[in-house]
Amino acid sequence: MYHLNGLRWALGCFTALFLVFLYGPFVVMTILSFQQGPEGGPQFPIIEWSTFWYEHVLSIAEPSRVAPLPIGKALARSLTLAFATMVVSTLLGTLSAQAFRRNFKGSGFVFYLIVLGMMVPGVLLGLGMALVSSQFGIDRTWWGTAFVLHVVYTFPFSFLVMLAIFNRFDKSLEEASWMLGVDPVKTFQKVTFPMIFPGILSSMLFAFTLSYDEFPRTLFTGGSEATMPIAIYGTFAVEIHPNLFAFGVLTTLASFVLLTIYGVLMALSVRRSKIKSAGLQEEIA
Amino acid sequence: MKDTKVSYTDGLGTGSLTGSKKDRPKKEHYFLIAPGVLWMVLFLIIPLAMMVYVSFWTQTTFAVNPTLTTKSWVTFFSTETYVDALFRTGRLWLIVLFLTFVIGYPVALFVGQLVRSETLRTVLLVTCVIPFWTSFLIRVLAWRPMLGKEGAVNILLQKAGLISTPIEVLLFTEVSVVIGLVQIYVVFMVGPIAFMLSRIDHSLLEAARDLGASTWTIFRKIIFPLSLPGVAVGAIFVSVMVLGEFATPAALSGRKVNLLGNIIVTQVGSLKWAFAAVVGVVLTVVMALVISALLRVVNLRKEL
Repeated sequence: MYHLNGLRWALGCFTALFLVFLYGPFVVMTILSFQQGPEGGPQFPIIEWSTFWYEHVLSIAEPSRVAPLPIGKALARSLTLAFATMVVSTLLGTLSAQAFRRNFKGSGFVFYLIVLGMMVPGVLLGLGMALVSSQFGIDRTWWGTAFVLHVVYTFPFSFLVMLAIFNRFDKSLEEASWMLGVDPVKTFQKVTFPMIFPGILSSMLFAFTLSYDEFPRTLFTGGSEATMPIAIYGTFAVEIHPNLFAFGVLTTLASFVLLTIYGVLMALSVRRSKIKSAGLQEEIA
Repeated sequence: MKDTKVSYTDGLGTGSLTGSKKDRPKKEHYFLIAPGVLWMVLFLIIPLAMMVYVSFWTQTTFAVNPTLTTKSWVTFFSTETYVDALFRTGRLWLIVLFLTFVIGYPVALFVGQLVRSETLRTVLLVTCVIPFWTSFLIRVLAWRPMLGKEGAVNILLQKAGLISTPIEVLLFTEVSVVIGLVQIYVVFMVGPIAFMLSRIDHSLLEAARDLGASTWTIFRKIIFPLSLPGVAVGAIFVSVMVLGEFATPAALSGRKVNLLGNIIVTQVGSLKWAFAAVVGVVLTVVMALVISALLRVVNLRKEL
């Protein structure tokens, strides 16, 4: 910790440069989203500053040769899909992690079976599922074939988060409650759940974010009704307009709001569970 | 549920709660684990198995039929385009992996070891994650106005007087694909390494220093070995994502740089299922080799 100031300085500067690299495209995207419309393209120089593309995304701009982004329904589908994935994956993750609280035969195998879900590239899984559905005559839909693959992808994340939470979990609290004759269901409600709640929130956040932005798995299995990323991918093939960038900026702002809510909930629940466990420990003592 | 309660009350008598485990009905775990395992077998194992199976089917113009043949396999390995794509995938993967490590490690070192304030550390980590809130595809596209002939990078470099004519190799080449991939995935390298580094016990470093070790020795003998599991986890993340990529190369190379993933997409698009499956199996084998090598460095279960 001594004589490290030079090193700290150098690495600090490196980290600052790194952040510039990380944010560069985002900054450029934000600037270009204020490009003049509808003639201005997604490149420099800025012809004239305007909010045309924002109006265009929100469908309040005057009709022009640029087709509006097909986002309305796609956005609704993506949100529904992400929500369903979030619920199922958190449920599966919690159940499985609960089972892993003690060693059972084959637990090593099951661990890697679950983790495999996040390690297989999406394009492979999408291809496999597309093959299965075309050979067995299953319709490819975003709420069917794509949904199950989304869960395959997010379930391992939920599982690992919950496993980490259970590993740091003080079992004696649960045991104390059992010893005092509280039945298991009530113990789960009053003791276990409040303590694993931060984990559940993180797992939900992971699953929702991953599913919402999921692309390669959905591409082959989503069928004809596009989700948000597929709709964006569709515009790739034709000409790109700055409305995509405006949309990017808007969605990022929306996520900011969502994450702030998450942060507040998290802070509240951590504080509450601390108070609660402190209270419980006092009672036991 | 009733049994659980009884056995725990029994456990009281022996004074050891863990000792009562054996009396508990063991089946409970299997009920808890069954839904997850079932889901993974149905929607992960079966599709992958199907892929292997279909790779040996016979491909006709627009359909496949289940007569077994190795024709698609022969085609793959005897066509220069596809073998090239295999090597290109391997090469780009190695370059991106190397760059994410070289760029990511110093950042992780700063965040995980040298930042003393807990708040600043959290702020830095959150700052690294914020770009992920923009859709992946839009982030990829945002590189185009950055790298083009009249892109932001060229404009800035020209204004700074560092170059007189714009650099043209920046966009629609392998260079742009590498830049894009590194920027999108480098955070997956930073995160795990920073996590491992922040767990290092500082008294260990102080002890080493008291014994006269130089900063370099401390890094080489203590810090680096202890961060290796983080490097391995980061490398797994980056490898999985880069090896399966197709959108970034498609968007940033003007479809000139084709990886295995791009070939799968094209083949599926023209309904060449058997051939797409062959490419898929090749990619799976590459992936399995890479991941099993990396898992030798790190025991995932222990690191949680």
